[in-house]
Amino acid sequence: MGHTGAVWCVDADWDTKHVLTGSADNSCRLWDCETGKQLALLKTNSAVRTCGFDFGGNIIMFSTDKQMGYQCFVSFFDLRDPSQIDSNEPYMKIPCNDTKITSAVWGPLGECIIAGHESGELNQYSAKSGEVLVNVKEHSRQINDIQLSRDMTMFVTASKDNTAKLFDSTTLEHQKTFRTERPVNSAALSPNYDHVVLGGGQEAMDVTTTSTRIGKFEARFFHLAVEEEFGRVKGHFGPINSVAFHPDGKSYSSGGEDGYVRIHYFDPQYFEFEFEA
Amino acid sequence: MQDAENVAAPEAAEERAEPGPQQPAAEPPGEEPARPEGPGAPEAADGENEEAEAGPGPEAPAEPAVDGEEAAAGATPGPSPPPPEEPPAAAEAEDEAPGEQAPAEQAGAEQARDAAAEARSDGDGAGGEQGGPSEDAVVAENGDADEPSFSDPEDFVDDVSEEELLGDVLKDRPQEADGIDSVIVVDSVPQVGPDRLDKLRNVIHKIFSKFGKITNDFYPEEEGKTKGYIFLEYASPAHALDAVKNADGYKLDKQHTFRVNLFTDFDKYMTISDEWDIPEKQPFKDLGNLRYWLEEPECRDQYSVIFESGDRTSIFWNDVKDPVSIEERARWTETYVRWSPKGTYLATFHQRGIALWGGEKFKQIQRFSHQGVQLIDFSPCERYLVTFSPLMDTQDDPQAIIIWDILTGQKKRGFHCESSAHWPIFKWSHDGKFFARMTLDTLSIYETPSMGLLDKKSLKISGIKDFSWSPGGNIIAFWVPEDKDIPARVTLMQLPSRQEIRVRNLFNVVDCKLHWQKNGDYLCVKVDRTPKGTQGVVTNFEIFRMREKQVPVDVVEMKEPIIAFAWEPNGSKFAVLHGEAPRISVSFYHVKSNGKIELIKMFDKQQANTIFWSPQGQFVVLAGLRSMNGALAFVDTSDCTVMNIAEHYMASDVEWDPTGRYVVTSVSWWSHKVDNAYWLWTFQGRLLQKNNKDRFCQLLWRPRPPTLLSQDQIKQIRKDLKKYSKIFEQKDRLSQSKASKELVERRRTMMEDFRKYRKMAQELYMEQKNERLELRGGVDTDELDSNVDDWEEETIEFFVTEEIIPLGSQE
Repeated sequence: MGHTGAVWCVDADWDTKHVLTGSADNSCRLWDCETGKQLALLKTNSAVRTCGFDFGGNIIMFSTDKQMGYQCFVSFFDLRDPSQIDSNEPYMKIPCNDTKITSAVWGPLGECIIAGHESGELNQYSAKSGEVLVNVKEHSRQINDIQLSRDMTMFVTASKDNTAKLFDSTTLEHQKTFRTERPVNSAALSPNYDHVVLGGGQEAMDVTTTSTRIGKFEARFFHLAVEEEFGRVKGHFGPINSVAFHPDGKSYSSGGEDGYVRIHYFDPQYFEFEFEA
Repeated sequence: MQDAENVAAPEAAEERAEPGPQQPAAEPPGEEPARPEGPGAPEAADGENEEAEAGPGPEAPAEPAVDGEEAAAGATPGPSPPPPEEPPAAAEAEDEAPGEQAPAEQAGAEQARDAAAEARSDGDGAGGEQGGPSEDAVVAENGDADEPSFSDPEDFVDDVSEEELLGDVLKDRPQEADGIDSVIVVDSVPQVGPDRLDKLRNVIHKIFSKFGKITNDFYPEEEGKTKGYIFLEYASPAHALDAVKNADGYKLDKQHTFRVNLFTDFDKYMTISDEWDIPEKQPFKDLGNLRYWLEEPECRDQYSVIFESGDRTSIFWNDVKDPVSIEERARWTETYVRWSPKGTYLATFHQRGIALWGGEKFKQIQRFSHQGVQLIDFSPCERYLVTFSPLMDTQDDPQAIIIWDILTGQKKRGFHCESSAHWPIFKWSHDGKFFARMTLDTLSIYETPSMGLLDKKSLKISGIKDFSWSPGGNIIAFWVPEDKDIPARVTLMQLPSRQEIRVRNLFNVVDCKLHWQKNGDYLCVKVDRTPKGTQGVVTNFEIFRMREKQVPVDVVEMKEPIIAFAWEPNGSKFAVLHGEAPRISVSFYHVKSNGKIELIKMFDKQQANTIFWSPQGQFVVLAGLRSMNGALAFVDTSDCTVMNIAEHYMASDVEWDPTGRYVVTSVSWWSHKVDNAYWLWTFQGRLLQKNNKDRFCQLLWRPRPPTLLSQDQIKQIRKDLKKYSKIFEQKDRLSQSKASKELVERRRTMMEDFRKYRKMAQELYMEQKNERLELRGGVDTDELDSNVDDWEEETIEFFVTEEIIPLGSQE
């Protein structure tokens, strides 16, 4: 029962009935959230890197790694058609031969997915035809994370090139850049302020040789409009792998390579802070 | 050597060329074949000799007599050996010297030779040519078999060259110049009659046999008197060279100073055209004002930055707010860059050589082709460039180090060099008039612009370990270690007089280091000693006061290990870092006008390994670079206060701007792979900027030329500082408020733009509301509380028991 390898990705549908998980055990699984019962087992040829439900919760997608001689694919299943699950035959499978997908989310209204690649490229794939709708390259290195704003009109990318960037979800137009000195592993948008939080740090493989001081394992807060940093939270002693805001925007949490998940509540000053403009 | 030739020889050549026309040049060559001075005779004889080699056989001499009458006239008596008293070399000398005659004679000889060749091909019945056999075959087929004719048919043209046929033999044919390398020409010899000739010969023999055995001599005569120049032949060319080197300029008496030249040199100078070609006028290249950057109204300085691991190079204006980019180029240099000492040029390194850039647009100004160049050095006057490459050196052509003229781009001189370990190999005097190099037991001083050895000889200083020029005058300081009973010695020598102005003996010396104060006012010799009866090393700072009579010396002794020493650039203070980590102290000393050296202040527990004085003096940055994590202390030495303690973690470099207003600390990618950045500080240690640059490598300030203001003017400015500072403060306030205004303005526009963008996105979002509702089965999920009516409130109670466990029992 359950995965037999590292779980790389988790997503729940909008009404939290189902949960989707992807794992390095070469499978993607669908679960009933309330009971924990496994509803579907979709076997793949290589590790599942990203997965997600569309806006309506009817279509799932997941992408696989380029690994062991297998290509990177994005597969789409329509849950309303049980035969697709039963036969493990997706209604669409998009190959990504050039550079593998390292992060992906569904676009607004479930019409497309937005994928970040190892090369730093961003692609918007149509969920109906599979064609590339928009392609942009604003990052010079791997995109580690993509997170949408609450209204899904924009998203923030976190990249190994030491920056996080804000894009428009529909046009993929680049809006803002947030610069740091270390690889950024994750970035999240505040649901009710024009703030973004970045987490990252010296790469895990280099950490043993560097002190926490030069590792810079801090969560860093930037203002979306002016791209300026206004706050930093220390605490982790390894790189931060993921950050997320609480839906009410009053706290955030971060998970680090050090094995800790830290939950921080904002001080009153945080809500009062404003740039002089 | 090279210079001696270049300078001395042309004069001699001119002198020698003169007598030519005066000689009986008009004499027909054939008339007096045996006369040694007759220019024609030796020429003819010479021609004959060649003919004899080239000619096919004994019948040849008869043949050319028909075709080449002019030559034959001279040639016929040729086979008989030349008169015994006529040295062959001298004969050749004669034929070379009369310039105008020579070409005509040459032509005659050539004709004769051609004739001989023709004669041979016509009359040669031996069938030695390659063409022969096939001709025979043809003849045989024709049927005239009885008596085959070996002679060529009438119309036969010999198309095989002699080289092809006899290449191996001809290769060994004696050259015209063979043997004459050992001949020298001596000018300015007294003119004597036959009565005193023997005496002259004796004197000459005495002087010149020093350099080797003289195998032949020749004293040309005219009207019973010698002509004032003579020819001497040595047993080997080396002797001749030796004689030229040493006897040239020999003063026989008041009237006679020998000019000695190699005979072969005459050949070289004879070929120089008599007519002087007016050098072509080079179009003037207007490079613009190469010092334009000094006219910047804000008095900002420039610096160069190499980043992206060397792929990109930028030039910036330094500005308190943000650096202003002037120029950025990809792959501008292959390794690093250097500024010239006065800042006029930026030098970039390439596999094929060095390029210099300058002017407002940083256009290329000059190129120096030196394959594999690794190191360079400018002369302080910016007139010369020294380049080093390990690739190009060969035995005959010294090219390891090349000195270039920057203005013309021409190579001035090449040098051999085995190792570049102690770059710069050549050290320049402060004015660029001299440069010197140290080799084993020798100090060679060269002068510009001739690039020749000063006074044509090096200084022999046995055991010389190190030397250095005073930055304030043409004085060289050097030291030699102890040698048995002779103490170690520091010598100050004035140049070009080579007068020793001060010698100081030192005992039990392990090592010496020479530190000049930037103006050359003081010299500090740091002497590591092991005095008898003590253990370990003691360091003496021997302070030479250069500006005073007799150059008095005072000594400061320190028993702790010395980490660093540095003079205040424009002043009389020096700083010493001493002790052992973690107990490192810094001491500031002051050399008073009465010569007393006073300890002003000592700070202990310093985290520092390097001293960086402001170029204007007074302020100093003590830095603990690299292993000391980049600790920084900013000290004002006028009252010895530490103005600020700071840190630039892992800093590898500290660079003061040329005015001493700012200082940059940096972490270079060359020494550390992360956090590559340069930070700008004020001289007081207030951090102004952190400039992160991807794989930043190096920052170099553009130097400024020395000020044109006189001491009095500077004094006056100092006096009026209050007046100026008011103006500057006002300016600063203005620019500061402008800056903050600009920042606020920038933020405002960014906010405004962002707001606009969000508004658009929101509108689109609202438009899609129905679609969203549809997709989620009519449930509105746009707001967290949008379905508040659907919420069911549930109260859950947990029973929590609290148990207090003492900390100890937890494990």
